[in-house]
Amino acid sequence: MSTALLLVLLAIGLPWLGALIVWWTGDQRPRLQHTIAVAFSAAAGVAAVFLLTQTSPDVVGYKELPIWGRAFGHITFVADGLGVFLAVIATVIGSLAVIFSIDYMKGEHQLGRYYAFVLFFIGAMVGLVLTNNILMMFFFWEITALCSYALISFHNDDPKAVAGGIKALIITQVGGVGLLVGALVSANVFGTFEISEFLANASMEVNPVPLTWMAFGCLAAAAAKSAQFPFQTWLPDAMEAPTPISALIHAATMVNAGVYLLARFYPAFEEVPYWTTAVVAVGAITALMAAVMALVANDLKRVLAYSTVSQLGYMVYAIGAGGVLASQFHLFSHSVFKALLFLGAGAVIHAAGTRDMRQMGGISKQMPLTRNVFIIGALALAGIPVLNGFWSKELVLETGLAHGPIWAYVIMLIGAGLTALYTFRCVTMVFFGEAHSEHHLHEAGPAMKTALIPLALGSLVTWLAFGPFSEMMKNTLPFHEIETEGTLEFVTKIVTDPYTMLTLFVVTLGLAAWCFRSKLGGLASALKFLGDAAQASFGFEWINRGIVSITQWCGETLRGTQTGLLNWNTAYIVGALVIVLAILLMGA
Amino acid sequence: MQNWLWMIGLPIVAAPIIYVVGRTFRPGDGTKAGINPAMWVALLSLLATGFFTYQAWTAYIADATLETSIGMVALRADGISFLMATAILVLGSMATLYSGPYLAADEGQEKFYALLTAMIGMMIGLSCARDLFNLWIWFEGMAIASFPLVAFYRRNPAGLEAGIKYLVQSAAGSILVLVAIALVYSETGSLAYDGIVAASGRSLPMLAAGALFIVGFGVKVAMVPLHTWLPDAHSQAPSPISAMLSGVVIEAGLIALIRSLGVLQSVSNNWGVILLGFGALNMLVGNLLALRQTQVKRLLAFSSLAHIGYILLGIGVAASSYYFDDLNTGFFAGSGSFFHILTHALMKGLAFLAAGCLLYSLYISRGSHEPLTKNDLAGAARRYPLEAFGLSVAVLALGGLPPLAGFMSKWQIFVGSFMSGNPWIIGLVIFAAFNSVLSLGYYAPLVNLMYRHEPGEVVLAGKPTPWLMILPVCLLALAVVVLGFWPSLVQPLTDVAGFSLLQLFGFVR
Amino acid sequence: MTLELWNVGLVTILVLLGVGFYGLLISRNLIKMVVALQILAKGAILAMVLAAKLQGWTVIGQSMALTVIVADTIVAVIAMAMAVQIRRHCGTLDVQSLSNLRR
Repeated sequence: MSTALLLVLLAIGLPWLGALIVWWTGDQRPRLQHTIAVAFSAAAGVAAVFLLTQTSPDVVGYKELPIWGRAFGHITFVADGLGVFLAVIATVIGSLAVIFSIDYMKGEHQLGRYYAFVLFFIGAMVGLVLTNNILMMFFFWEITALCSYALISFHNDDPKAVAGGIKALIITQVGGVGLLVGALVSANVFGTFEISEFLANASMEVNPVPLTWMAFGCLAAAAAKSAQFPFQTWLPDAMEAPTPISALIHAATMVNAGVYLLARFYPAFEEVPYWTTAVVAVGAITALMAAVMALVANDLKRVLAYSTVSQLGYMVYAIGAGGVLASQFHLFSHSVFKALLFLGAGAVIHAAGTRDMRQMGGISKQMPLTRNVFIIGALALAGIPVLNGFWSKELVLETGLAHGPIWAYVIMLIGAGLTALYTFRCVTMVFFGEAHSEHHLHEAGPAMKTALIPLALGSLVTWLAFGPFSEMMKNTLPFHEIETEGTLEFVTKIVTDPYTMLTLFVVTLGLAAWCFRSKLGGLASALKFLGDAAQASFGFEWINRGIVSITQWCGETLRGTQTGLLNWNTAYIVGALVIVLAILLMGA
Repeated sequence: MQNWLWMIGLPIVAAPIIYVVGRTFRPGDGTKAGINPAMWVALLSLLATGFFTYQAWTAYIADATLETSIGMVALRADGISFLMATAILVLGSMATLYSGPYLAADEGQEKFYALLTAMIGMMIGLSCARDLFNLWIWFEGMAIASFPLVAFYRRNPAGLEAGIKYLVQSAAGSILVLVAIALVYSETGSLAYDGIVAASGRSLPMLAAGALFIVGFGVKVAMVPLHTWLPDAHSQAPSPISAMLSGVVIEAGLIALIRSLGVLQSVSNNWGVILLGFGALNMLVGNLLALRQTQVKRLLAFSSLAHIGYILLGIGVAASSYYFDDLNTGFFAGSGSFFHILTHALMKGLAFLAAGCLLYSLYISRGSHEPLTKNDLAGAARRYPLEAFGLSVAVLALGGLPPLAGFMSKWQIFVGSFMSGNPWIIGLVIFAAFNSVLSLGYYAPLVNLMYRHEPGEVVLAGKPTPWLMILPVCLLALAVVVLGFWPSLVQPLTDVAGFSLLQLFGFVR
Repeated sequence: MTLELWNVGLVTILVLLGVGFYGLLISRNLIKMVVALQILAKGAILAMVLAAKLQGWTVIGQSMALTVIVADTIVAVIAMAMAVQIRRHCGTLDVQSLSNLRR
């Protein structure tokens, strides 16, 4: 067994083993459960970090082991840059979320179920990004959906949590059908379950129709998983989950799986007609729409959720414009600063006991550390230099300008301004202004701090890793065309680019709009219709509800056919006989 | 008598012995109604049957032909027989073990175990039958054994109503089958499969016979719209019987159906197409009907309709192999269907047994025959962790979520069917996938309810579940998880079954 | 001769099946439904005998008919036993009122 394979198996297996152990430990020993969860997630993190030294485009795994067999492909992995870096994010941020949970989930019931699913999720996420078998990818994909559902509705007594969980499950599963189609096409048309073989063989000249189906199927799957247009509605409702879960699953890792999927298959799909345009459009529409919704939301976690949707839109847009590296670099930055924001928000919510930003305010003195790290995250989100979000967003926009359509670039630029606007609005409402609650708020606990500080540092410095990051991607992704640059060159390029100034100007505009909001009253009332539409999620909730009620109505109406009368039941038999006979006679 | 015949004969021979043992048993002091020893005899006979089945299997894969005629009765074991025997015996022994405590307080247990064992023997016999009339006898024997089992609670009006509906519809179906057999016999002068295949051609009576077979056996398979008995019978029968009915009996009906259609292979090329049509109907109607159910066992019964739909999809594709370039399509789809028959037996068995645990603890042990409703499940995981876990695993597996067995078997059906390259079938695969998503709309809320923190009043008033009932639940849950991670564990079985299916329809010799 | 037997037999079978299904479809009394099932069964048995006769294997036809009669009688007995229990515990034999299990 090669070192790479061993580390892959450890990074998947350790959390899963931990999940079993923490489940068997039983809820009578919460301290032990906390310890086990931290130990196993940290161990997986160590394994994943070591994997960074083993990146290569080689396929490792068990081609001979008859566990999966013919109809399922083989158990294979590929520890290339794309996968390993996501595995590191999943395990490291996973460990931090688990550490954060020690304080956040203190005294909660059924910790075993909580930690078991968190650890199960971490392992599955690592598997999803490292496997080279498309069915295994689908397998892990669905496990992450299962864990996400189970954790969103962790508080099963709360009907909103249950509804949010089921909604997330169903919507991602509807999109998952797209990935299913992709896997079926790969297995049947291209005759392989191995993603690397597929990427080597796929071409528009040989199998144009199946490849088109697969490309758009994967786009649907990615959009559902990454909460992109038109599937974006599940993510805000998923905020009923405990906050560490929102940070881990719904900001830093699982929602990135869609972007990862697009990035992984980009070389095969880029030639499919209209595919890149569709990807750009999905990304741009989502980025703008979600930014507007973030502007009018009052629930702190929902604001962050909309901003996640919006930032994921940037990544999708980057892929559509051919910038796989840019999208992954932004993904990297976003995972760090958004996990930080969510965990910071978690600390605030834990202390304030509410998620409504209108009830907060004036707590900056009582929670100085939380405030400071939250502001670091917010500045990164807004794209203020020199935080990591600035560099990656610039890279995305620059790639988009160079290779993507200009209309999309304009949309993304407006989006950047809106991002700054809603970020400052959020920070002001939460930390500054007048205090709304009388009682004294306590600062985050030690475990929470342990999780927040590394993420805050990360938001400050991860952009320095651009050089090695691009180098790793270039060296280990044989099917992707990636231009590598040293960090210094990269920085010089961004700083000297005139369009950077344009972006910064737009961001400043957003900031200014918030500062002088009282003077812009006329504009605000002119745009009120937009705000109302955004409050109503631009009609998507209405469509969702419509589909659900139509299905329910069909079910209820159909129940009328179950008359319970024996005469009718025999009539069905006679009727079926007549119909089958008629069909057979016509067919013959 | 040849050795392999014991896998059919033993349960049938054991049935009267079980009855006598159960009849002579007198519970000691009357205060503590224990488990009837008939259960242990039944279990023992099933395990012994399993041993003979295993021996026959080793002979079979060593290329032995297992074929015997006793007078008019021609029997031959093929891949399908072994797959069915495995599913039947595994689920049958679990259900028997489970029935011990479940029925401990009821009268008529000796009849229960005897009939259950006899029904198991009949089903294994059915899967080995080699001529049509013989097939009908096993089929009717299975049905006769199951009628009293469904109406086991003979003082419970709902159980009786379900039983009589089941009986009348089932009997009507079996008469249609008889008429079909008469038609085939008058046309070909033969009842043996091979003789009919050799002598039959396209003619109106043979087509009519095909339609009669489809509808006649279809009643037992619960193909929509012949399904109306199923939700009643499956929800009112004692839970171990619900598990058997849903897990293997309707599938045995399906085996009878494909055997009879295989015999008519030269009459029409479109049997598969008709099965596909019923498959689509079953998935949609089953899922939609289950969506708004409030009783747990009735919901599970409707979900069986949907699962029959998935199974019909694979079988229909295999039976349509005339239209495809190579036989791999049919082979993969067919063996996928058999894999799903196996996993469905485990999943649905688990679901009914786990739901039965809760039903027993919350109602039956308190002398009530109220149905278990969804709302009763609220907070069940707090007091009944293993039972709730088992039911959760079962419904999530039925909904096709990995890493559970249902995902893998559905995938194999899909991959095989997709291989056909036929746009209609590919459309059907996608339709089936969306149906699978739809089914989560009623499975997932069950799980959420059970894991509520605050137990409902019904749960608080419940009694503990006997460990002998929890044991089968745990074993089945383990099997469902293991097959999810290791799908090729049963591949030898499903492969030969898929091959036998192609043989049956004459695509391979 | 054969032609006549074929016609007469066929008509009888169709009449029996028709009457049987008609009974199943319209009768409200459970006992009558069981009777209708029996009529159906007689039609099927006649069909078997006729088929065997047409093929010149009368003995096989007879043995099949006997088997069907036995199986069918068991079904009828169970059905009547259930009907008795239903009368006792539900207080009715009207299938219209035996429709508590529905939807």
